[in-house]
Amino acid sequence: MTLTDPLWWIFLLLAAPMAGSILSLIPHPEISRAAARAGALAAVVAATSLLVLRSQGEWGGVLGIDALSDVFIFTVAAIYATSVWYSSAYLRYIHNSFLSPQVYYALMGAFALAMLASLVVADLGLMWIGIEATTVASALLIVLERKPSSVEAAWRYTLIASAGLTIALFALLLLYVSTGTLDAFALAASPPVPTLLVQMAVALALVGYGTKVGLFPMHSWLPDAHSEAPSPVSALFSGVLLPTALYAFLRVYRVLAMPVPSDLTDLLLAFGLLTALVAAFLLQQQRSFKRLFAYSSMEVMGLAVVGVSLGGVALYGVLILLVSHAFAKSAAFYCSGNVLRGTGTTRIDSVHDLRHRMPWTGAAWVLAAPAVTGAPPFGTFVGELLIIVGAVAVGADWVAVLVIVAVLLAFLGVNAQVGGMVFGTTAEPTPPAEEGAESGVSLAYLNVGVALVLGIVSLPYLSSALRAATLVLGGHVP
Amino acid sequence: MDPASDVVPLLGVGILLTALYLQSESFVDPLVWGVALQSALIGMLLGWLAWTEHNLDFAVIAVLAVAIRVFLIPYVLRRQIHAFRWRARELRASNRVTGHVLAAVAVAVIAWFVFQQALASSFPELGGALPFVLLVQGLLMLATRSNTIVQVTGYLEEENAIVYAGALFARGFPLFIEVVIFLDVLGVVLVGVILSIQRDVTGTPEERPIEELTG
Repeated sequence: MTLTDPLWWIFLLLAAPMAGSILSLIPHPEISRAAARAGALAAVVAATSLLVLRSQGEWGGVLGIDALSDVFIFTVAAIYATSVWYSSAYLRYIHNSFLSPQVYYALMGAFALAMLASLVVADLGLMWIGIEATTVASALLIVLERKPSSVEAAWRYTLIASAGLTIALFALLLLYVSTGTLDAFALAASPPVPTLLVQMAVALALVGYGTKVGLFPMHSWLPDAHSEAPSPVSALFSGVLLPTALYAFLRVYRVLAMPVPSDLTDLLLAFGLLTALVAAFLLQQQRSFKRLFAYSSMEVMGLAVVGVSLGGVALYGVLILLVSHAFAKSAAFYCSGNVLRGTGTTRIDSVHDLRHRMPWTGAAWVLAAPAVTGAPPFGTFVGELLIIVGAVAVGADWVAVLVIVAVLLAFLGVNAQVGGMVFGTTAEPTPPAEEGAESGVSLAYLNVGVALVLGIVSLPYLSSALRAATLVLGGHVP
Repeated sequence: MDPASDVVPLLGVGILLTALYLQSESFVDPLVWGVALQSALIGMLLGWLAWTEHNLDFAVIAVLAVAIRVFLIPYVLRRQIHAFRWRARELRASNRVTGHVLAAVAVAVIAWFVFQQALASSFPELGGALPFVLLVQGLLMLATRSNTIVQVTGYLEEENAIVYAGALFARGFPLFIEVVIFLDVLGVVLVGVILSIQRDVTGTPEERPIEELTG
């Protein structure tokens, strides 16, 4: 194998978090942290190499990647790395932890490994195992802070996500009965006749994987898990776990030949619109800033599903939206972690005057909030705009109107609340909160910067991979 | 009529009856025994198919089903019941169980007819709709019950439905053994780890309104 062989980089991509995970169990804090960081960095190097090489291919019906995989792999690896880095800042403030830092880093590595493994396999059964493995690895991370509410959230997450994924597995059984294979690449190359059985399989896959994506009404685990998990884990949940589950659904969806039967696109559209609108309304009344961002993620995933149902140029928008959102939302959650540490609360009405109390974190939060809600000139804006354009292009003006309503509601809800916490004042004096050099806020600036750049310029390799991934999904690039 | 050909449908009827029994039960301990019985019937079905079709995969899964879902998980669940020192009855379900049974029967009948009308041509096996009905029953259990142990039995029922479907009409499904092992691992994590943490942290198995998790 040479360095231009994708298999080498896939091997490194999987081996790095695995090795980092195992080595981080060494009972020495510094070594454990260094091992986790090294594993995450090596994963980023492998993911970047796959992106640069525009890797694609299938190996034995087991492994398989294309431009779509490359985009998701890069995003997962990047958010995993920044979250591991941010963890060292966050963990210093966790007392009465259920997990030692060593076990925490090991589970983070296992969580990332499960996501990355889901993205490099061609077999839909293996992909299902990878998605289900993310539940096992991440459930225990939610209970890190040993609170009754976090245990309850972990329970709901495990049970609801697993129940949903069982439906996804049933969908794969039906797909196998009708096609005789679960090789996603082979099925996409020669799509089966869309019989009622195949359509039912795709519809059940939408419900099953949609549970993990956070689609309404299967979303009830999402705000709990996101709000109770430690902030670096929330960043992984929102930024990359939900898109990885959507990727698994897209692989099932792609077995259908174009044009997709209208019954299915209507079903997708209904789930997507309902999710975006319900989330946009619900986030108006949130009292916890972490739940606020959780509902914002749900809204974005709803918009992404709307884009998938529309096809065409909207698919390009979906991919830009997902990548930009991953970076922006992780930045928002890093800031949330800092604010929680600095103020000791997640209640929105108890946080004031962050511009003076935590100026660096406050400024990063003020940047991250519009970035996650699709404000120009961030990449999320470009993504959402393309979804709206896609709706108009297929004559679905009413869809465009509803998407605009959801986007505006989410924008106003999130930015008003964050603005109030950063710029709002109170009659009582509020002492400055600790915000040292090791607060991890630089990572928030880094990630929100990437979301900004994605909206302004065409990034080498990543932008071309996004365009190629759109073609893989059957869409087109403007 | 060949008596041997009746074994699979007969076991199917038994599995369906256990599903309806689970819906009708509000006591926790009998629920655990009920799902163990259902898993045992699935194990017998797999064992029968392994014997008649000389299928090693089914034999392995039969052994796994019996070892993990008939013995291990019910054993862990019953230990949790004793450790929590529960009253052995699901508190809030006892008044609703009649409604649960009616809903369960109605859902089972509807699921059966939907499956037969839409997909019977793809599944010529007698009782091909049963795994689908069982899956829906497991989901109903998860949706209507609030007790954590009872919810686990709903999850186990779903898992049984998958194994049943794989055995009945998705022969040759790749990675079937691996998938079943993985589901079992998840089941053990559910009942063994998270329930233990819950016991240590909250000291109660019943859901209480938690202020942080509202909205």
